[in-house]
Amino acid sequence: MYRPGGSVLHRTPAGPKLLTVMALALAISLVPASPWLLAGAIALVIGCYLLTGLGLRELGRQLRDLRWLILVMLVPQALFLSLPTAAVNITRVVVVVLLAALVTLTTRTEDLIDAIAKALGPLRRFGADPDRIALMLSMTITTVPVIAGFAAQVREAQRARGVPVQPLAFVVPLLVMALKHSDDLADALTARGVD
Amino acid sequence: MTSEIHFENVSVEFSGREVLRDLSLDLDERRIAVIGSNGSGKSTFARMLNGLVTPTRGEVRVHGVDPARQPKEIRRRVGFVFSNPDAQIIMPTVAEDVAFSLRGRGLTRTEVQERVTAALDRFGLGEHADAPAQTLSGGQKQLLALCAVLIREPGLVVADEPTAYLDASNSRRIARFLLDEMPQQLVLVTHDPRLAARCDIAVRFEAGILVDRGDPAAVIARYEEEQL
Repeated sequence: MYRPGGSVLHRTPAGPKLLTVMALALAISLVPASPWLLAGAIALVIGCYLLTGLGLRELGRQLRDLRWLILVMLVPQALFLSLPTAAVNITRVVVVVLLAALVTLTTRTEDLIDAIAKALGPLRRFGADPDRIALMLSMTITTVPVIAGFAAQVREAQRARGVPVQPLAFVVPLLVMALKHSDDLADALTARGVD
Repeated sequence: MTSEIHFENVSVEFSGREVLRDLSLDLDERRIAVIGSNGSGKSTFARMLNGLVTPTRGEVRVHGVDPARQPKEIRRRVGFVFSNPDAQIIMPTVAEDVAFSLRGRGLTRTEVQERVTAALDRFGLGEHADAPAQTLSGGQKQLLALCAVLIREPGLVVADEPTAYLDASNSRRIARFLLDEMPQQLVLVTHDPRLAARCDIAVRFEAGILVDRGDPAAVIARYEEEQL
């Protein structure tokens, strides 16, 4: 989510930022791994977070949010590959995700959506509506905390009744709440003039 | 001359069930309260004003526009505030959500920014402009919804139980704005007799039929008498 600021990265337009992150992601993923490459990539991430003024605390917060992703990647890789190879692979992914997070942290969603809509412009000739796709992406970002709130409500309701947490008893009410929310949101969109 | 809100022999059916029956009504008052029991048809009535519900039969005119036939025009003229503040937030941050209402108006980015800043300041949300909208309190979210509606400068605001999810202090804040400060015509669907009493007229629905209309105090008194 966007954090206001006045750094160079905040002032850089969304399009060039997205292209740079894509290029860096490709480079980090495709260039054969070496300790220098990974050290350079990590230094780049730290440098960028310091440059934005968000600091190492924000970097730590982002890393903490990635802990489950790291765990999910680590377990199978540690089983089937050597530990150094697993560490290299995970470092690559984490670096790319942290760089991508920098884009969302330093760019207003509105600017990001406009850039994506512009990039998808050529798809119009195939019948796609880039503005609609961009709006959908933006609403997805808005809805994530809402759905997380619903999940917490369902868990609390189950705990309050002393019901042990079962996947089906958790998923069904969550799905119903999510569908109701999507209906309400559709009405709100219509009322605001989006058909 | 047709009234600002004009319903003539309007009926609405959902899946063969009649939820509003043969409604004929003309309203020109500035603050209109809509009351009635749950499932009485008051929300259906409110939703027709913005074209969210289309009548099965009859004619509807709101500020000279037919909501069913001129959906774009009606949404320019009529703003709608829902009861659940969470379900009205479309964009991730507060400023972006208000700016979303100005899309397609042909305004420059600077003009949009200026209008959004002024609107947020008016609602006391200026300091939250860049905050994620979902982190606001319930009252602030409802203020945000109002702000997003009013920045479009509608002639009529329809509020469907806008204080239902709010605590007493936030309810008072929203009610004060809607009933005392907002210059637009207001249709307020509410279960709160104190809010209805502050309107210029009250209409009451029961089982899909308009059963009473007139001075709010008298309509509420008859309603409460029947509830006993």
